[in-house]
Amino acid sequence: MLLTSVIVVLREVLESALLISVLVALSGTLGIPRRWVAWALGLGLAGAIGFSLGFNTVSDWFDGVGMEVVSASMQGLIYLLLVAFALLVLWNTNSTHTGSLLIRLIMVLIVALAVAREGVEVLIYMYAHTESLPHFIHALTGAVIGAAIGISVGVLLYYLLSYPAIGKSPTTGLVLLGLIGAGLLSQAVLLLIQADWVPSHLPLWDTTAVLSESSVTGKLLYVLIGYEATPTAIQVSFYFGGLAVLLTIAVLTAVPRSRST
Amino acid sequence: MSNASGWHGLKRLFVQITPVIACLVGTEPVLADKPVFKIEISNHLFMPAEIVIPANTKVKLMVHNLDATSEEFESYELNREKVIMGKRKAVIFVGPLAPGEYPFFGEFHPETAQGKIIVE
Repeated sequence: MLLTSVIVVLREVLESALLISVLVALSGTLGIPRRWVAWALGLGLAGAIGFSLGFNTVSDWFDGVGMEVVSASMQGLIYLLLVAFALLVLWNTNSTHTGSLLIRLIMVLIVALAVAREGVEVLIYMYAHTESLPHFIHALTGAVIGAAIGISVGVLLYYLLSYPAIGKSPTTGLVLLGLIGAGLLSQAVLLLIQADWVPSHLPLWDTTAVLSESSVTGKLLYVLIGYEATPTAIQVSFYFGGLAVLLTIAVLTAVPRSRST
Repeated sequence: MSNASGWHGLKRLFVQITPVIACLVGTEPVLADKPVFKIEISNHLFMPAEIVIPANTKVKLMVHNLDATSEEFESYELNREKVIMGKRKAVIFVGPLAPGEYPFFGEFHPETAQGKIIVE
């Protein structure tokens, strides 16, 4: 029970924590003050509460698959915002002009959407354990431990990315955003398959024997790079297509820098 | 004579290609009516805990949560996860799947909520 709640909350918190720490580290690289994070977290939390209050209504949309469609749209939107963000960073490194207000706005939206989406799952999980006080205390303890681990990993990644040798250029951060973004895109496609909005086929391959999704490494890789043991062709195409776009922009941010020095 | 064999070759090619196109475009599975399977959640248990579904077919799972508390239907093997609030029903599309066993569980109460889909 305790371990279950640690894992449930850790998985949700980790997904947002990674995204937040990369963006905060990048805003350090770009010389943007980090105050936007507070706005983003506040907005995300409010979104999560609103989302959980309207959960039943949203679930009933589109013949009972409203949650899948809304979640997939949010993830797709996060991906598009990541592309816009990466392009602005590229534009920034190519000139002295700073589109910093727009960059900040995009970062706020990305983090708020991610926190709202993951936060609603944590809130509903906690709500599921309100039947008795001992149950709730168990779930809450696990949730606090899970959240603490997730946030610690995020902080660790932030310091790693802020290390002068890495933090000088936005390239590493953008590569990580590419991996996270591709994972989000592939998850969005999976949600639409679950909703029967996108046709599903037999998986392209099955790597369960090599690395099971239920293993700790599998779960971690799912969060980090969107690992799936049995993906379908549509998911794989969206994953690599989405990854290619963001990686191209990331690589381009490294090119002008090496020319000018 | 050569014309006829050419026609047969073309027809054979068409027969071979059609399922591939249908598969890629995905018209067939989306338009066809899917078989429905019902599962209930009661006292954090799935009932029935095992259901048998046909291979290579998309099916519609109707999961009715009779408990007052919410549950999350989750399966790594099926690549599915869906929150079902207390006293509510949820629709989950599953498949097409190759024959085999696909376990699922209730992520909020995995100690008791366990089940599997057997594909034959």
